[in-house]
Amino acid sequence: MPVSGVVVTCFSGSSAEVAERVGAFDGVEVHGVLPDGQIVAVVEADTVQGEVDLVSRLHEVDGVIAVRLAYHNFEDVES
Amino acid sequence: MSLSRRDFLKATAAAAAFAAAGAATVNPLRPDDAEAAEGGITWGKAPCRFCGTGCGVLVGVKNGRVVATKGDPQAPVNKGLNCIKGYFLSKILYGKDRLTKPLIRKGGKMVEASWDEAMTLIASKYQESIAKHGPDSVAIYGSGQWTIFEGYAALKLFKGGIGTNNIEPNARLCMASAVTGFMTTFASDEPMGCYDDLDLGDTYFLWGANMAEAHPVLFSRMIDNRLRNPRVKIIDFGTRRTRTSQMADQYIRFNPQTDLALMNALAHVIVRDKLYDEKFLKDHVVFKKGKEKIGYGLEDKFKFADEPKLISFDDYQAFLKPYTPEYVAGLSGVPAAKIVELAHLYADKSRKVNSLWTMGFNQHTRGTWANNLAYNLHLLTGKICRPGENPMSLTGQPSACGTAREVGTFTHRLPADMVVANPEHRAKTARIWGIDPAKIPAKPTYNAVEMFRALDRGDIKVVWIQVTNPFQSLPNLNRYRKGARKGDGRFVIVSDIYPTRSTELADVILPSAGWIEKEGAFGNAERRTQQWFKLVNPPGEARNDLWQTMELARRLGHGNLFPYKYPEKEIWEEYRKFGEGQGKDLAPYEAYTKARGLRWPVVNGKETRYRYAEEYDPYVKPGEGIRFYKNKADHNKAVIWARPYEPAPEVPDKKYPFWLCTGRVLEHWHTGTMTGRVPELKRAYPAAVCEMHPDDARRLGVKHLGKVRLTSRRGTIVLNLDLNGRGKAEKGNVFVAFFDENKMINELCIDAYCPISGEPDYKKCAVRVEKA
Repeated sequence: MPVSGVVVTCFSGSSAEVAERVGAFDGVEVHGVLPDGQIVAVVEADTVQGEVDLVSRLHEVDGVIAVRLAYHNFEDVES
Repeated sequence: MSLSRRDFLKATAAAAAFAAAGAATVNPLRPDDAEAAEGGITWGKAPCRFCGTGCGVLVGVKNGRVVATKGDPQAPVNKGLNCIKGYFLSKILYGKDRLTKPLIRKGGKMVEASWDEAMTLIASKYQESIAKHGPDSVAIYGSGQWTIFEGYAALKLFKGGIGTNNIEPNARLCMASAVTGFMTTFASDEPMGCYDDLDLGDTYFLWGANMAEAHPVLFSRMIDNRLRNPRVKIIDFGTRRTRTSQMADQYIRFNPQTDLALMNALAHVIVRDKLYDEKFLKDHVVFKKGKEKIGYGLEDKFKFADEPKLISFDDYQAFLKPYTPEYVAGLSGVPAAKIVELAHLYADKSRKVNSLWTMGFNQHTRGTWANNLAYNLHLLTGKICRPGENPMSLTGQPSACGTAREVGTFTHRLPADMVVANPEHRAKTARIWGIDPAKIPAKPTYNAVEMFRALDRGDIKVVWIQVTNPFQSLPNLNRYRKGARKGDGRFVIVSDIYPTRSTELADVILPSAGWIEKEGAFGNAERRTQQWFKLVNPPGEARNDLWQTMELARRLGHGNLFPYKYPEKEIWEEYRKFGEGQGKDLAPYEAYTKARGLRWPVVNGKETRYRYAEEYDPYVKPGEGIRFYKNKADHNKAVIWARPYEPAPEVPDKKYPFWLCTGRVLEHWHTGTMTGRVPELKRAYPAAVCEMHPDDARRLGVKHLGKVRLTSRRGTIVLNLDLNGRGKAEKGNVFVAFFDENKMINELCIDAYCPISGEPDYKKCAVRVEKA
C-alpha cells in the first residue's frame, strides 16, 4: 500500500477551497493548510497506478499550481 | 502492511511534507515514532536521475532494494520536495526487461555471451579498424547523463590513448548552443548566476521554455517567490500555450524563429530610448559582429568558421536601426506597443530582471546567436552578476554541465574550457595524463550529427554508444538508423540498462548499472556538483560504464592510463587539477561526499554563488566590482554581438504548410527508456499525440482523438490528435513529444544545425497534416 506525503501549492486565496476539493478524493487526507496557502496531504492507494491517478487528478484541480512530493514509501509494493 | 505501520508511515509522510513546506513546528510525529517508522530502512543521498535541475533525493534501501524515496530536506536546490517524476525514480531500476547479460549479434539474433567474450570482440573490432583505417575510424558517443567519472574515462581513453577526437556527447543535441553562446560572449562556459535568482528576482522573462513541465521544481521556486511578493511578473514568450503560459502574467505568442528579431527589437528600443547603462557598457562591454548568412549544416562535412570584428557602439546602434517595433511586429506577430512595453520592463531600473531559456533557444539553427542576443539585453542594462538579476541558461540533462561541458567530452574539447586546437591546452592535458602531447590530435573531427553521417558513409566504422539513445533521438532519424546497419565493417556497441531503439541496431549490447547502482557525480545547471555512493547492486551481470571503458582501455593496451585502485575518487582528484586556478576550481572529493553539492569555483572550501562579481567570486578583488576575467583577449569585458535575424532553412509552404515543433512532457524523460518502463506511468501518458489548434483541426475534418498523418520531406507518422491536452498549439503549428519509441517523431525532423554550435533545430521544420 504505497503512501506519500505531498505539498500542494495553490493560487492566492484559493487554498481553503482546494483543500475541501482534494480532501473529498478517496485516498487523499489533508493534514494541514498553511498560512501561505500551501496544503499538506497524505496520499495512499492500493497500487502505484492508483497513486499516479490520484496525483494526476490533484494536478488538474481548479486552483492548483503545483503538486510536489516530499515522501514516498512503497516497501510492500511488488514490482 | 499492518495498520499501525501504515499509520506510522502516513504520519512520517505528513511530517516530511510539513517540513518541506517550511512548517516543521506543526509536525504531528513524535521523534521516537519517526525512528520506529523508519525501521530497517537506510537512507543515502543522491541527485535525481532526471533533468538538469538536480534536485536532492534521499533514497531508502531495505534488504538490498530501494523501498522509499523522499525529497532531501537538506538539499538547497529543492528543500525536501521533488516533482512528480520523483515518484518513479526507484521504479525505473526495476522494470521487467532490465539488461543483465552481454548480448552479441550472431546470425541476426542477439545471443547471450560472457563479458570476456563481448569485450574481446569489441577490442578486436577497435584494433582492426584502427590498424586498417586509422584512429579516426573509431568513435565513442556518450552523454550528458554520464557520470563525471564515466565521461572523464572516455575522454582520456579516446584522446589520450587511441589518439582520436571522435568523442561526442548527446549534449551536442541539447546544450551546445548555450556553450558557444557563453564562450563567444564571456569566454567561459556556464552561468554567472544560480537558482537563488529565482527566489530573489522580481521579473522573469521565459523564452520558449515550458518550465512548468520541463523544470517543475525551478518553476515552483519562481511561483513561491510570486506568492510571497505580488510585485513579481512572469512573462512567457512562446510559440505554443503551455501550463507555464497558464501561470504566467503574460503569454506572448511569436512566430517561430522570430525570437532573433524580437530580441533585437527590444535592444533597439533600449538603445533608442537611452535606457542602457552607459557606465556598465563603458567598463564591461565590447561590441562585435561576425559573418552573416552562415548556412545550416545540411550538407555532409559542412564547415564554418566565424570572423569576429570589433565594432563601435555607433556601429551597433546602426545595426539595430532596422529592428523597429513596427518591422518586428510584422515579422513576429507581437504588437509593436507590446515590444516597447517589454523593452521598458527589461530596462526598468526598479526591477530585478532575469531571462530563462532552454531548448527554444538552443535547438535552433541560429542557437548561438539566440544565446548572444539574450545576453545583449542584460549587458545593455547592466542587469547581470547581481543576486536576483541574471540571464539563466537552464540545462536539460542532469550532467550536461558536470560531465559533457566541464569534462569536455566533445570533439574539439579538453577539460575546463580548454580546446584541442590550442597547443598549450594539449600540453597541459598531456602533463596531467602523463602522455606525449603529440598523442592528442589538434584538429576536431565531427560534431554529433556529422559523426552519425560519417557512420552512414563508412568513414567511421566502430562506434560505442553509452547512456543515450541516438537511434530514437537524432533528427532526420531514418538516414542514421539505416546507416548503422549498412554492414561493410561497421560495428555498433550499445551500453544501456534496458532494450531501446538503439540496442536493437547494435552488434553488441552491454548491460549497465543505473543511477544509484554505481558511485557517481553529476553537475547541474547552477554549477552545483553533487556526488552519491552506490546504494544497491545492479542486477544480473550488469556493470557500470566506467568499468566497461577501463576494461576496453586495458585490452587496447592503454591500461596504464587507468592505474586506479579507487577509480571514482582518484579520477576526481586527477580531473580537478585541470580547473584549479582557472575559475573552474573543484573541491577535494570528500567535500562532495558530505555536502549537498557545491557550486564551483570552490576555493578554500567556499563555493561561489555569483561568478565575475566582487564579494562572491574569489577571483574578483575588492574594488573591482564586476570583471569578466575569463575574457582576457577583450580585456576582461563581455561581448555584445550584432547578430541578425535570419530565417529557418525550411519554412512552411504550400506542400508542407505547418510548423512542427517537438519537445517533452512532464511525465516522461527524453526517449522514455526509463519512464516508459514504469507501467503505471506509461499508462498515465501512454503514447505521443499531435497537438493542434482546434480551427486547423476543424478545417481538416479531424476531431479530438481522431487520427492524423504528419508528413515532412524526411518521414511520415500517424498520431492521435489531442485537442484537450495541457499544451495548446497556435494556428499553423503542431507539437509532438519525442518520448514514444513507437512513434518516433524525430524521423520527420530536419538535421539542420547551428553552424557555430553544431546543435540541430528540433523546434522548426515544415510538415503536411492530413486526416488519416
